[in-house]
Amino acid sequence: MSEFTREEDKYYLDLTVDEAHILINLVEQLLELLGVIDIPHHYDESDPFAQLMHQLKPAPDEVATPDDPVLLRLLPNAYADPESAADFRRFTEPAMRSKKNLTLRRARQALAVIVDSNSPGVIEDLDSDTWLAVINDLRIALSVRLEVDESSFEKFEALPESDPQKPLYAVYFWLGWLQSNLLDVMLA
Amino acid sequence: MSTDTLIDVESESNLHISQLVDKPWVTIVWDDPVNMMTYVVHVFIKLFGFSKEKAHELMMQVHNDGRAVVSSGSREEMEWDVQRLHEHGLWATLQRDDKV
Repeated sequence: MSEFTREEDKYYLDLTVDEAHILINLVEQLLELLGVIDIPHHYDESDPFAQLMHQLKPAPDEVATPDDPVLLRLLPNAYADPESAADFRRFTEPAMRSKKNLTLRRARQALAVIVDSNSPGVIEDLDSDTWLAVINDLRIALSVRLEVDESSFEKFEALPESDPQKPLYAVYFWLGWLQSNLLDVMLA
Repeated sequence: MSTDTLIDVESESNLHISQLVDKPWVTIVWDDPVNMMTYVVHVFIKLFGFSKEKAHELMMQVHNDGRAVVSSGSREEMEWDVQRLHEHGLWATLQRDDKV
């Protein structure tokens, strides 16, 4: 399984083509959910992740409380009071969205090198903050779609291999493992 | 009620307001089943400069109690903290201190 390595401030992640495919598919689907429409995507529409992520269509550029539960989790309300929450959203959400866009696009660009060349490779031009942000956003997006709760790991282990949800959970837990691995390497 | 008393009450309430203005708002982080303990500790240290021990203690409070106050200050400062926590995928809200 791929692991992060580090030389001083530089982080390296070697990925198989399959792993890079999984990551780029999720990154592109999240970008699209955030309203980005100008990227050609690497996944095909029958991809189970694409189907999972496209359960609801995004509402681009609209600074209203998101209808999509993934967006609502990534861009949550800051206040219990709806009026203050709406004001806060109006002032902060455009910047939040563009920051996420920028980070996800950088990851997409790095992953595309491996996917497009169809050969395993090492990603070395993303810093640890970018990796953490991307991995965390993907974990959160998947967790909302999979309705992850405290008992999900037991649920995942009990699922038969033939269950269509099994690989989706597997990716969710793989991302968690990758994040732990990155944090370990950062703190080492 | 005499005028003198009224003035007293007014000056007292002014004092009270000035104390409230000092640190009237708090940022609360809520528990969620997704963010990992080590990640939450990392974010607390990165954003607030807490010691490892303090960050761990607050993370455990979020985990066990369902929420924890991680900062207090002016409304603007708390909005900034909430925004940075949201950027890092943590579920945070702000509210007046007296509601906690």
